[in-house]
Amino acid sequence: MSKKKRFGISEALTRGLSETIHVVENNAGIFRNIILPLSRIELDPDNPRKLAIDLTDVRQGIRPDDPLYARKQEELEKLKELAHTIKTNGVINPVVVYKRGELYRMVAGERRCLASLLIGKQEIEARVFNEKPKNFELKLIQWVENTAREDLTLAERLDNMRDIIREYQGQHGQVEVTATLIKTITGLSLSQTTYYLTALNAPEDVQVGIQNGSIRNLDKAALIAGVLSSEVRQQLMQACVAGSSLKALKSLINQQKMIKHHQARLSTSKRGRQTAKINMGTTMKAAVIKTIVDCVISKKEYDKYLDIFSRVDWMDLRQTTHAFRKLIELLEVEMVA
Amino acid sequence: MEIIAFVNNKGGVGKTTCSKLMAEYLSKTKQLRTLCIDFDPQCNFSHQYLQMEIDPAAPEGLIPPIHPDYDIDDPDDEDWDGRSSIAEIFYGQGVVPYPTYVEKLDIAPGHAEKLLTAESVRRSEVVDKVHKQLANFLNSSDVREAYDAVVIDTAPSKGPLTISVIKAANHIIIPSVMEEQPVQGIYGMLQLWMQESLVREKTRPLQLIGILPNMFKQTRLHKDILKSLQDNAAIGKYVLPVKFSQRIVFAEVDAADSTPRSIFDFQEQHVAKNEAMEVCSYIAERIFA
Repeated sequence: MSKKKRFGISEALTRGLSETIHVVENNAGIFRNIILPLSRIELDPDNPRKLAIDLTDVRQGIRPDDPLYARKQEELEKLKELAHTIKTNGVINPVVVYKRGELYRMVAGERRCLASLLIGKQEIEARVFNEKPKNFELKLIQWVENTAREDLTLAERLDNMRDIIREYQGQHGQVEVTATLIKTITGLSLSQTTYYLTALNAPEDVQVGIQNGSIRNLDKAALIAGVLSSEVRQQLMQACVAGSSLKALKSLINQQKMIKHHQARLSTSKRGRQTAKINMGTTMKAAVIKTIVDCVISKKEYDKYLDIFSRVDWMDLRQTTHAFRKLIELLEVEMVA
Repeated sequence: MEIIAFVNNKGGVGKTTCSKLMAEYLSKTKQLRTLCIDFDPQCNFSHQYLQMEIDPAAPEGLIPPIHPDYDIDDPDDEDWDGRSSIAEIFYGQGVVPYPTYVEKLDIAPGHAEKLLTAESVRRSEVVDKVHKQLANFLNSSDVREAYDAVVIDTAPSKGPLTISVIKAANHIIIPSVMEEQPVQGIYGMLQLWMQESLVREKTRPLQLIGILPNMFKQTRLHKDILKSLQDNAAIGKYVLPVKFSQRIVFAEVDAADSTPRSIFDFQEQHVAKNEAMEVCSYIAERIFA
């Protein structure tokens, strides 16, 4: 007995139908990737990058009487490097645009577009949003595209972050800005967002330092911004300009802290039992004691003790302790006399 | 105003019959002011309501009859030859819909030669213009004020005419016979739906109402293919739970001298009328709810 024939649509067709349906269900009305003529792209004047060079400069050359000639020329040189890699490898990631009338407004990919124009390309691959992304989403896309880049100045990055926070507050009301909130919005690590927050709330002088390029690193900016004393901040910024590392800045801060701490100590401490004698403290560095001893016996009136201390092995903590006690004893005798 | 289009690039799957039933249901039963548009150069839909004529000077096919409102002595009609088809939208002329024997139902008929010319356009910039014409026409305030619903019958193609319908519509229904080749036609239409959905604004989506099994026979072939579509997780959602069976009466009412002229004029409990009511009310519910 033959098996009853069963009918069905072919596997290829079933697959084609369901794939098509999924594409629509997942992507309808959001964006699509197309090859876009570069002539239809306009730059976003509000892009946080604030590139001086624009489409006209690339198409027609920078005018020698342009007030920004030098800066634009420098930017052009950088674009040429990018253009070279585009020429050999193409644009790897599509630029992001949204439709605005007859033209497409740039969301991200300004440099890729300008560089493509430089090497005479007519089109570029683009991800097209059908509608202008909401301000907040727009900033976020530009942010995400920009964080990967190294040629943004710290000031530009902070401006960018300020814009994102402003847009976020515009949408969600005046919520308190915390590092955790920034982390949620941007996906950066908590330590990074803490740095950002500190830098954003930095005192005026640090803000100026960031703007004029004295401070170029986020972590340095956050470190300096956390210092209360404006004098110390000034010292740190000078150290920054001089090229001090983060570590060097930190130890500078520690040093300043100790001085301040000491001053604070001297003026206070009135509580507890009356103090009848001085506690000399402890140290693990024999060199500290040797320095004290050397200082004392270098005084003319005490050079008679030179012999006593010349035999001390300053590497031996026990001997050093004895030496120090001896010094105190001798001095007490001297003071009585 | 809801714009409903029946599309499938496979011919003979019942686009015209479905369009006719839907238009009559909306105008007769739901009392909606309905405009039929015949976008198929074969003009079968137009022929249902108008005595289409053959122009000896236009060997390509049918042309609409003289409009009942045309008055040769009226100076307003001086520049008009008295005929009007939906194809005028491609020639920058006004479209004057014709009344039909159904009170709230008008039709903008096809014009074989003019539609074929639009369909054969190939140069990309012109194609772009063709694509947008129907949407522009249906977006005009005159049309929006005059009608509650528009039902469009399309040509069995994926060319510029069908694309312009897809661009104008907000609901599409894909009638299909449950056989391999018509189901391939579904694929073609889903592709158009996809292309259009990706470029449309989110606020005005192109709704795929679904795949409407048509001319269904209780045979193993039809049942198996329907089941294989229904059983697929992605496709199943879009297979309508209602269907038209293969019935000779649907064809009989198409004949020029048939009485009654509409399925909806049959006596209550008529099996074909019941089926038409079930299918059309389901679709109308989805669209107008």
